[in-house]
Amino acid sequence: MKLILTGILAGLLAATAAHADEMVFTSWGGTTQEAQTKSWAAPFEASSGIKVLQDGPTDYGKLKAMVEGGSVAWDVVDVEMDFAIKAAKDGLLEPIDFNVVPKADLDPRFTTDHAVGSFYYSFVLAWNKGAVSGEPTGWADMFDQTKFPGKRTFYKWSAPGIIEIALLADGVPADKLYPLDLDRAFKKLDTIKSEIVWWDSGAQSQQLIASGEAAFGQLWNGRVFALEQDGADVGVSWNQNMTAADVLVIPKGSKNKASAMKFLAAATSPKSQAMFAEASGYAPINTAAKAEMPADVVKSLPDAYVDGQINLDMNYWAENRDKIAERWYAWQAK
Amino acid sequence: MSGNLLHRPSIFRRPDGIGGALPALILIILFFVVPVVALLLRSVTEPVPGLQNYATLFGDGTYARVFFNTFLVATVVTAVTVIVAFPVAWMLAIMPPTLGSIVFGIIILSMWTNLLTRTYAWMVLLQRTGVINRTLMDIGLISQPLPLINNLTGVTIGMVYIMLPFMILPLVGTLRAIDPMTLRAAALCGASPLEAFRRILLPLSLPGIAAGGLMVFVMSLGYFVTPTLLGGTSNMMLAAMIAQMIQSLLNWGLGSAAAFILLVVTMALYALQLRLVGAKRMTGGI
Repeated sequence: MKLILTGILAGLLAATAAHADEMVFTSWGGTTQEAQTKSWAAPFEASSGIKVLQDGPTDYGKLKAMVEGGSVAWDVVDVEMDFAIKAAKDGLLEPIDFNVVPKADLDPRFTTDHAVGSFYYSFVLAWNKGAVSGEPTGWADMFDQTKFPGKRTFYKWSAPGIIEIALLADGVPADKLYPLDLDRAFKKLDTIKSEIVWWDSGAQSQQLIASGEAAFGQLWNGRVFALEQDGADVGVSWNQNMTAADVLVIPKGSKNKASAMKFLAAATSPKSQAMFAEASGYAPINTAAKAEMPADVVKSLPDAYVDGQINLDMNYWAENRDKIAERWYAWQAK
Repeated sequence: MSGNLLHRPSIFRRPDGIGGALPALILIILFFVVPVVALLLRSVTEPVPGLQNYATLFGDGTYARVFFNTFLVATVVTAVTVIVAFPVAWMLAIMPPTLGSIVFGIIILSMWTNLLTRTYAWMVLLQRTGVINRTLMDIGLISQPLPLINNLTGVTIGMVYIMLPFMILPLVGTLRAIDPMTLRAAALCGASPLEAFRRILLPLSLPGIAAGGLMVFVMSLGYFVTPTLLGGTSNMMLAAMIAQMIQSLLNWGLGSAAAFILLVVTMALYALQLRLVGAKRMTGGI
């Protein structure tokens, strides 16, 4: 019965499935997917003759339904790395064929048997200069309501980042974060809960900060970069910036697996990665990409702020994803 | 009259079987009944067979809170909608027909505007740096922005606005059917306007209020977009929770169970509505 339902669901979802010489790339929409289309899909189409159809936004529920129902409409999907590790364990992903995808220059932090990096980013502290007096210097300031009053904005979904931020602000040393002390983190978060405005998409985080609706917040560095490019009056602190990555995966049962592998090879090549980084402000996962980029772009990437940088532990998160998510949403709903 | 009808081509005759309804029936079975049955089955088979998903939903304080929120929001929205809709409906009922149809048109037009657009418009108006707070601060009425969004206030304002037409339309039907002479008679007997409203108009309009109120309540129970955008995480309603279970937690069993409970409650309320108001009145009144 479960199969029948997922079959029906997947059948409906697969209505957009690609034909021969076509494949479907799914990502998160907005400026990020635009940059991926321009930097990866367009050159790939020109060189391979394979048409890349764009779909989105990424939806883990849909991905699971497609794989379980055996009717997979997506060939390459941009997902968060902790999800990819978990999904690989659950048998939802195809293994990567590293004979097609050159592995040598790929950042090993973001490469697994079932995923290659898409890009990596840092959570940084950003603020609206008109709404904040003084200059916040670190995560602890987000919890200091006397020094820095006003609304603060955080990522709404259960994901690596905010738990770690709360623990750092509470005095946990960066090298003692894992395993996460959830009780302590939620207790710390309770102290500012009424002042939190949640953002659930990158565009919303930009809108909240740019308008001053939230005085400051935890943002993806690429989104702050875009705000600066637009001339918004924002400040940013890279102190204890936290890296996390998006990765590219192929759902199990993809009908265009061969094309998908070729696409992965093209998307992770130094040149494609350099183009994307320049367009988005996110960092390349190919270590050879930097040589292809203008010096001022290299300077604006998370790579330039490795001092005090914290790598969010994706393996820990993959292991504890469900448990943390359950507590997270229960805490939010309280 | 009836003789005439018999000679008309069969297409004009009342269908005597369910033949005419067959396409709709097939559509409903394929796209509603089958998925709902599958949903029910998932809720008792995933991850293992049994009723544990329902036990979790009823036993856990967090979910109880979400159920409570859902009913709270639906109740508040329904009450406010009745209060706001009544004067409008009364005005429409006693207006000259030409003017009435213009006002009617405006109300219908707002129904046709995209829901998301309308909700985003409310975000622009209600947020801390929004039009309302800016204006009130500029004229010196308040010094700190009022919390109008990401809370129950925001959800109520946004949803009442969306629900108004569904309350006004049945209410106008009921109010139009009330003989204005009854109010004049009450006045002649010495009743004050308030008393006439309380003892004559209100009781006579109850069927319309019940029909509209139940419709608004039932629609509010399953609402997703407006509470998500205008409410805070602590106002989470059932629909948002179901989406979260399926999209973020990938827990289809629990999500299906929650969806099924929502469906049962909605159906029960609909059955109640049919009993109270009568099917004919409900569909004919609108």
